[in-house]
Amino acid sequence: MRRKLTSIVNGAFPLGFIVLLLVTWEYWVRWKAVQEWILPGPALIARTLADNLPLILKHAQTTLMECLAGFALAIILSFVLAFAMDEVLLLRRALYPLLIASQTVPIISVAPLFIIWFGYGVMPKIIVVILVCFFPIALSLLGGLAAVDREYLELFRSMKATRLDIFRMVKLPLALPSFFSGLKIAASYSVMGAVIGEWLGAKEGLGMYMTIAQRSFQVDRVFAAILIVTALSAALFALVALIERLVIPWNRLTEWRDL
Amino acid sequence: MPKVVVEGIKKTLGGILTLQKINIEAEDRAVSGILGPSGCGKSTLFNIIAGLMRPDRGNVSIGGEVVTGNSGLTSYMRQKDLLLPNLNVLDNVSIPLVLKGMPKKKARLEAERHLGTFGLEGFGNYYPGQLSGGMRQRAALLRTYLFSSGIWLLDEPFASLDAITKRKMHTWLLRVLDQFQPTVLFITHDVDEALYLCDKVYVLSECPTVVKLEVEIPFSRPHHSHTIVDPAYGPLRDAIMDALSI
Repeated sequence: MRRKLTSIVNGAFPLGFIVLLLVTWEYWVRWKAVQEWILPGPALIARTLADNLPLILKHAQTTLMECLAGFALAIILSFVLAFAMDEVLLLRRALYPLLIASQTVPIISVAPLFIIWFGYGVMPKIIVVILVCFFPIALSLLGGLAAVDREYLELFRSMKATRLDIFRMVKLPLALPSFFSGLKIAASYSVMGAVIGEWLGAKEGLGMYMTIAQRSFQVDRVFAAILIVTALSAALFALVALIERLVIPWNRLTEWRDL
Repeated sequence: MPKVVVEGIKKTLGGILTLQKINIEAEDRAVSGILGPSGCGKSTLFNIIAGLMRPDRGNVSIGGEVVTGNSGLTSYMRQKDLLLPNLNVLDNVSIPLVLKGMPKKKARLEAERHLGTFGLEGFGNYYPGQLSGGMRQRAALLRTYLFSSGIWLLDEPFASLDAITKRKMHTWLLRVLDQFQPTVLFITHDVDEALYLCDKVYVLSECPTVVKLEVEIPFSRPHHSHTIVDPAYGPLRDAIMDALSI
């Protein structure tokens, strides 16, 4: 009973803080009579969002498709690469520095190149999403595979398990918790990746919607689109967290061990 | 004739002479203890007997046949239970059967028959994370048994358990050994554990390791929990302690 009350109170704090922030923002804008094209109040943003919802959702659909496609491809790519790098030491040595280096290249500087190469369609956006998602997923998967206790491998070898058996039965399941933590990071970045891709030139999508709104000083629309981007990111994160719970329910069991 | 013979094993690991010359004979259906300080290469020796590692020199024979470097002939159990957290007890213990090509369903049924003997009746659907340390070790031993090689290499199987649980596991293990009659090699660094469970004890030296002492334990059969009052116990324990230079 008391525990439940505590959790309600704990949940109420951040919510209350956000409400306080919004109220302050609204009053500040009204009191100082800030121009709408500089900073609109939350109430106006909400109204704009409601008025333009069908259009924004149509753009959001495009963005979401690019996100999911890029995310899925990044997962497949990570699996192939992590498997190869884990099995072949030479590959691991050769590719690991490259993997790190790839992450240091500023996406914003290479994204225009993709547009030159692949045009204004969805392809360059998907590539940007892959670039953003691939690194955290591949790295966490590799880390998870490498962290598997050597004794497991010895035990399975003593039982005459093949390399494939060992990968399938031991390495993969034991690497899953680490893999999912990378997946959650990637999920929350993926929408941002798609938006960056669209920002530089697109036929549709939230990023394109934002650039047009910004150029015409419709700041309320920019904020409305940001709200949707945030909601999409949070939803993707929540989806991955849900899948994690379904795929590795045993991961939470360890907490009971010493009860 | 002894079942497992380890002959003149030498092994250098990472530039350090770990095992200098090891000779060990494990009698059929008996428990042979291997006592030694930590870091003396006991686990390396087991890896060699299990065929996971090749010695620089020397041979391992099983039943009179030289099998150095062949894996899959012994059942290996370690201090860590090494149960897979994503599988329940039944699926975990039936792994050796599945690896040998038995269909999953049949393997599960076969494993289920033994749950009672290993004190896991009704826990087949539990995950390792839900079991106590003792139960997890018993599950690990069941998995070892189901590999059914007839030779069990037990590498400090109870070292991570508390004293009371450990004692209970000893009594239970002796019952299991009586039932299945395997040839056992048992690594420990607990002198009393060795005296209680083993028919023979090899005491190893520090690195580079040789066999310092080989003693028969006269009072280990028939098993009972009061061997400690046997007049032979004290002198034997002292001799082992001396060999370990404690």
